Amino acid sequence: MNERLRGILWGVVTYGLPPAITFAVVIGLWEAYVAWRDVSILVVPAPSDVWERFFDDPGYFWEQGWWTLYEATLGLIAGSAVAITLAVIMAHSRTVERGLLPLAIAMKVTPLVAIGPVLIVIFGFGTTPKIFLAALLCFFPMLVNALTGFRDVDSGALEFMRSLRASPWSIFWKLRAPSSLPYVLSALRITYPLALVGAVIAEWFTGNRGLGFVVYSAAQNLRTPELFSAIAVLALIGVAINIALSLLERRLLFWHESVRSTR
Amino acid sequence: MANEIQHVQLRGLSHVFTDGREPLHVLDDVSIDVPHGQFTSIIGPSGCGKSTLLRIVCGLLEPSAGTVLIDGAGPHDAQRRHDIGIIFQEPALLPWRTVAGNVRLPLEIGGARQRGTDAEALLDLVGLSEFRDYYPYQLSGGMRQRVAIARALAVDPTLLLMDEPFGALDEITRAAMRYELLRIWASQAKAGARKTVLFVTHSITEAIVMSDRIIVINGRPGRVVADAAVELPRPRTQEIERSAPFLDYADHLHGLLVGAAV
Repeated sequence: MNERLRGILWGVVTYGLPPAITFAVVIGLWEAYVAWRDVSILVVPAPSDVWERFFDDPGYFWEQGWWTLYEATLGLIAGSAVAITLAVIMAHSRTVERGLLPLAIAMKVTPLVAIGPVLIVIFGFGTTPKIFLAALLCFFPMLVNALTGFRDVDSGALEFMRSLRASPWSIFWKLRAPSSLPYVLSALRITYPLALVGAVIAEWFTGNRGLGFVVYSAAQNLRTPELFSAIAVLALIGVAINIALSLLERRLLFWHESVRSTR
Repeated sequence: MANEIQHVQLRGLSHVFTDGREPLHVLDDVSIDVPHGQFTSIIGPSGCGKSTLLRIVCGLLEPSAGTVLIDGAGPHDAQRRHDIGIIFQEPALLPWRTVAGNVRLPLEIGGARQRGTDAEALLDLVGLSEFRDYYPYQLSGGMRQRVAIARALAVDPTLLLMDEPFGALDEITRAAMRYELLRIWASQAKAGARKTVLFVTHSITEAIVMSDRIIVINGRPGRVVADAAVELPRPRTQEIERSAPFLDYADHLHGLLVGAAV
């Protein structure tokens, strides 16, 4: 066996095995508890029941998951675009910052999911209310992180550029934007899951598709194995997003301590 | 010679920082003339305002009182002409750019006059050709500071401002970098005209080894307390640090700096 293959295998064992064991133990205890106490399937299904329901029609769950991911992603893009645009303006003008930040904070402290029912009134039952709620939840963390990132530039590099009379445009693209990248990427780790939350909740209120709708209607009808299957798919989507963002960070932030220190 | 245009002319510079809790008076009535091609060190203890002075000279800070003229015009004109090259204590490189990318940065900043030295030639000059595609985090502190020197030289400025450029380096690297900088400075002379250097330091050795002239700033607020020529032959080598005139200068400076601080 060559050294490289050995290294990879060793990595899989040391990093993959402990969480796999934890996972197996939790599932096993759950299965055993349900069997031991004879818990009704209408209350909590055994993992084996969930497994059975899922593989009965996996295509159905993937399709609904795809809708949820699609709405969440569009919401994420819309919310981030608005947040980053405002952060750029605020980074250059304290007046604009003072004008907008209180509104942004008011949005942050309001439990935005409470406006779900209102969205039906405004946007009807289509995709729009899901995208809108996802975008709203993403907005604040991205705004604050991007703003911090645009401001957290190396003061020496900034003074160097200013000593050559660099334009704000050139300082932005050559210094502020790359400096903000670690902040924007760590915001995405928070906002992408939030976008999923927004999409799922909007689906409860206004849905006829998506995992939020599956969860809601399954709960109404006490189809608990279906409900837990939908939740499991949501969890898998969350894990996949996290892995994708990690890979993106490694690629884009090769120069940053956060990535270098994990090598 | 009243009609000769000085490269840098500072008149009655005073500065008070007012953004703290109490106004901080850091510079008081500093007037200095620096002719073209002179290597001038500004030496003083920490907190005497020498870095503030440098930031005022390059137009990054507006003085509370007094005027700065570079070639007879304000520092912002010199900035626009890309006439100033700055080197700080920290290299302040862009970590996402390679060595060559960092050296090219100033050339990508639009200036009124587009000129520049070949980035490759500069890398060669500072001895980093082989490292052109490396990133700053892959380099040692001394190498990073060489990149910063090459970057400052990229627009071919006539005035170099250095704020304790070797202050963050270890003593061994630092001792070597002094002579390295002198070599680079000499090689950059065009038609016998050297670049003017304003070099802020708190190392007595560094000031004597490198300079044509040493200006001592001391006190709070900082004032010019001495202004002396260093008449040691160039090119200078490490042996100079053991010569009798060097030791005389060092004694004299030591008295001015340490004597006054006690």
